[in-house]
Amino acid sequence: MTGDAMRLALMIDLERCTGCKSCEAACKQEHRLGPGEFRNKVIWSSGTSEPALAFLTLACQHCERPACLRACPVNPKAIVKDPVSGVVSVDEDRCTGCGECVIACPYSAMGYDAEGHHAVKCDLCSERRAHGQTTACASVCPTKAISFGAREDLLLRAESEGRSQRDNDQFLLGPATIYLERLEASTRDFRRPAFPDAPAAKSVFRSARPAFPYRELRADASADRVEPGGCNICFNCCSTKYHFRGKELVRITGNDEDPLLEGRVCPKSQLMLQLYHSEHRLLYPQKRVGERGEGRFERIGWDQALDEIAAKLERLRETHGAEALALFIGTRTGILEYLGYSRLFAQLWGTPNHEGTDPFCASGKNVAYLLTQGSIGSGNSYTREDIGSAGMYLYLGDNQAETRPVYFGMVNDWRIRNRAKMVVVDPRLTVTASKADRWLAIRPGTDMALALAMCHHILDKRLHDERFCAEWIVGFGEWRDFLFARGYTPDWAGPVTGIAAAEIRRLAAEVAGADGCVIFASRGINQHTNGTQTNRALMFLAAITGNWGRRGGAFFNMTAGAPIAPDAPKERRPALRRPRVRRSPTGWTEAMTKGKPYPIRALIACNNPMAQWPGQEAARAAFKALDLLVHIELFANETSAYADYLLPAATGIEKGEIGRANDDRRIVWIDKMIEPPGEAKADGWIWVELARRLGFGDVLKEEYKDTGVFWDEVCIGNELMRGVTQKRLHSVPWRWVRQPVMSESAPEIDTLYLEGTTAPGAPRGHRFPTGSGKLEFWTEAMEGKFQTVGLSALPEFYSEREQLADLPYIELLDADADEGVISPFCRPDTSSARGRIVAASADGPGARLRALGYDTELVTGRPPAAHFHSMTHYLWQAQEMWPDLYCQIHPEKAAQMGIADGGRVRIETAHGAIEAVAWIHAGIRASAVFVPIGWGERQPFHPWRSVNFLTDKTQRDPVSDQTNLKVLLCRVSRAAA
Amino acid sequence: MPTETRRADISDGTLRRLMASAVLAMAAWFALRHWLPPAWREPGSPELYLTGVAGALLLLVPIAFALAKRSGRSRAPLAWFNAHVLCSSLGAVLIVIHSGGFLRRAPALLLLAIVALAALGVWARLHGSRRMAATFASKQPTFALPDAGTREQLRQLIAQKRALLRDLDPAANEGTFSVTLSHILRRPGLAFAYQKLARAEAELLGTRQAVGAAQSGWRPLHMAIAWTFVFGVLVHVVTVTFFAGYVAGGGTITWWHLAAW
Repeated sequence: MTGDAMRLALMIDLERCTGCKSCEAACKQEHRLGPGEFRNKVIWSSGTSEPALAFLTLACQHCERPACLRACPVNPKAIVKDPVSGVVSVDEDRCTGCGECVIACPYSAMGYDAEGHHAVKCDLCSERRAHGQTTACASVCPTKAISFGAREDLLLRAESEGRSQRDNDQFLLGPATIYLERLEASTRDFRRPAFPDAPAAKSVFRSARPAFPYRELRADASADRVEPGGCNICFNCCSTKYHFRGKELVRITGNDEDPLLEGRVCPKSQLMLQLYHSEHRLLYPQKRVGERGEGRFERIGWDQALDEIAAKLERLRETHGAEALALFIGTRTGILEYLGYSRLFAQLWGTPNHEGTDPFCASGKNVAYLLTQGSIGSGNSYTREDIGSAGMYLYLGDNQAETRPVYFGMVNDWRIRNRAKMVVVDPRLTVTASKADRWLAIRPGTDMALALAMCHHILDKRLHDERFCAEWIVGFGEWRDFLFARGYTPDWAGPVTGIAAAEIRRLAAEVAGADGCVIFASRGINQHTNGTQTNRALMFLAAITGNWGRRGGAFFNMTAGAPIAPDAPKERRPALRRPRVRRSPTGWTEAMTKGKPYPIRALIACNNPMAQWPGQEAARAAFKALDLLVHIELFANETSAYADYLLPAATGIEKGEIGRANDDRRIVWIDKMIEPPGEAKADGWIWVELARRLGFGDVLKEEYKDTGVFWDEVCIGNELMRGVTQKRLHSVPWRWVRQPVMSESAPEIDTLYLEGTTAPGAPRGHRFPTGSGKLEFWTEAMEGKFQTVGLSALPEFYSEREQLADLPYIELLDADADEGVISPFCRPDTSSARGRIVAASADGPGARLRALGYDTELVTGRPPAAHFHSMTHYLWQAQEMWPDLYCQIHPEKAAQMGIADGGRVRIETAHGAIEAVAWIHAGIRASAVFVPIGWGERQPFHPWRSVNFLTDKTQRDPVSDQTNLKVLLCRVSRAAA
Repeated sequence: MPTETRRADISDGTLRRLMASAVLAMAAWFALRHWLPPAWREPGSPELYLTGVAGALLLLVPIAFALAKRSGRSRAPLAWFNAHVLCSSLGAVLIVIHSGGFLRRAPALLLLAIVALAALGVWARLHGSRRMAATFASKQPTFALPDAGTREQLRQLIAQKRALLRDLDPAANEGTFSVTLSHILRRPGLAFAYQKLARAEAELLGTRQAVGAAQSGWRPLHMAIAWTFVFGVLVHVVTVTFFAGYVAGGGTITWWHLAAW
């Protein structure tokens, strides 16, 4: 009999678990498990009749009466139970692979190695325990949902925190694993596994033997050294540790020495282990030999590739001018590439047509931040004293639990500890919403109405922070008068947003009354034609409630952005002859196909525009029309097929890099630790080599191939970044510094813009880095800027043209082929369309589409945490976790259309059609469907057409050029078999 | 902490090659037998008799495996498993050769059993193991709220098992106990009664039903056919040894026998 005091167990907190599957990734790394082989698994379950989303982390329960052990026919047993710790484990050398244990376990927590033909199971990481470590799953959990220890201690802790244990012993087996119930536990069972985790859809993921170190012996994959670094995939920027055996990378974990993140990482960081030996990596330069789009190439050398590209660019400049070259730098490439190397190259070459993914994701919030605060990003930080002290968290269009899983884990932990309130406004019951006190299923594209109405209520009832408004806001009176004059009341906003007026008043009062409210917004706010104005309205909401420039109160719209903006010497920059065609690369397609407003004949693309750019039909036609397309990438994808030259790139620890811009202003440095595979090269190396061939070698110098040198000498030349040197970054084992730091010895600042302080880089006494030193809601100069593009600086409500209700929308007066006006909102000079707000009418474009049967709102967005854009679709375990492109659909709509869970559906907009797999989920507006981004038709495991075949490049914000990706009318039907 | 070693497993590829070799050998025998000397075409000839004996001896290895892994004396059950695969494959080839190509006689039923055993075994290894792997996190009861009625039934069953165990194996802990060969040999009545309770408990847990008939049934079927085969071989041996006259059908008895009834 197990001695209870020594009995070991996992404790899984259902209130904290966000279903990110980081524990699965950690388990497979630790035990080098291959595809289809599990020791733990996170099961998602959805509500079928009522909105619900829940996650169950399943691993061996280490039962008192283990059914698996009793079923084992081998004598002595191949499954043993340790009499002291109670741990049940498999002796794989005695197991004959009969599978009786797998059948016998009622929890289905017994794994099986289908290649090696034997049972596998969680043994609570016996090897790690032998070294005094916790289990692999507990060590990485971004939300601290998994704890490991003596069962009695865990129970005592749960009791001291007032938590109740879920009764999971329906089989009287005496499971050791403790599941802590949700704070408000449901007594009814109306959930069932979401289709990707449903038994009916389950199939073993088959592939060739996974690349090293999976399925290797422990001895062959044990690390002999560890290097600190970071993850450069998403906007959480986790600090990580890279574990090496000799020169081979054998494991990636969180950095447990990091005082902030404490070793937490999401699955993506860990799944990158599958990147470095991937069979799908591009290994050498290639030149197209077939037709564009056909994907036929021949192998060539680097010299030939770069010499030919340089020669073609020279000819292009002679024929069409320097601006005929465009550079699109996607997120995969990293910050140094986008803000450093390619920026300098564009300046030296003389083209204004250089852009990243901002206009698809974040340009609206960037403009809004600059106008209101004078700098991009929140001045607050993810510390217990700052965000951790808030009394309320309000999320609007921000599924932080899946987009920045570790940050959400921290926020959720503070919410639980402080009993803080959490409200989520989103058309979907997202993972973030599943943890909230309330979920408000807003009509997509109407968050501005909600924000304005909340402000109206707060001001009307005098719930605002009057002193802050008087002392720290410029243009407060003008805006307040405008708000009242327009009558943006909760009663007005109710039918617009689909949220009851009483609920809007309640929410407004809660925000105003909370002792610190952190308002989070993200792509759900940004990716609209009203993205800039909605962000501003939300910023105004935060400001008038005093939630700006204080600890525990903030407006966050990811991310803070790294203030890196190196410039080539003025004398080396040719004068730009023409303005940038448009800020959004999707606005370049007429320049490519029609030569208007002027020709773009060549494109250097890093990333995958052929899945990523809104309006795929136009983008593909444009790429076919180019004279030269150079694609720099890790994998061959849809864009590669159109390329003339395909150049293999390096990433992360293959080149040295900083992590992405993130909410918390942390600059995370990643050293170069390994060589890229084959002949692949760092992006910086490619730009430096190309620059040398074009005569720019004096600026993009040979030594800048070393990213560390490039960083110190080029990237941190401004006063906000001056202290973020390589020396300082390497002085701490977690390899990050929170900017701004104006010297190497300057202390980091947790919370910027506190009363009585001067904003870094601003004149003395300027609390905020605006011209006035205050938050700016409205000024005459600002009004002039807005009027240039046909709007007012006082946010007037409008929504999208494709809506199920008749709402005002923006109409662009200039097409992409037109010159338009020079935008006052971006540099260098950039053409912009002028806009006009069209009043709601019953015969608008939405009504016309509805008459054609487009009766459903299409919402697009990020898939679960294991995926990021298309990059993770080349990693086998990310595909095992989330294989197919899915379409979340409400059960009522599914029933109307005869669509079954897991069945194939066709989604059609006025702009195109795709197919996906139906995921019936009551946690979505009954009138909406959700389809995630990231899938592409040339991906190796589960190819699907990109969701951007459904989007429309012409629906853009005249202020920021942001494309609407969040509400398009569509019709959904069961796909033909 | 024991050092992890590469497990001595027969891989899918090896199994495929082994099966292909066995099938090829059988096919070759059938194709070539008309050109062989008559003695190699008569099951009762000394050559084919000895071939049959050798095949039968090899086919005893799977029986030995079944007993060894349950006996408590095997230090390497996996080695026994591998031996059972190899010996049964080779034994099957020898038995086919021993048949002399007479497929319409009653002993040919044994060949059918061999084919069925091999097919089941190969299916289990190549496909059944994929299903086993896919079983992880797939059983609906994982998500179910506890049912008071079932729990009460389980409670009673466990109490009965504990009571029975006090006589069957007083030192054993019900939570980790299962009936072994030695229990069956020493206290067959109690052992079978205990087995019955264990099966009833498993039924209440619903675990076999949860995985479907193919996954839960292949192994019981494999064992049932195996024991039927063993019984068939015994009948065959007894017949040819004691009823040689009947088997020869009035012809010459060319094999070793004890009686020619």
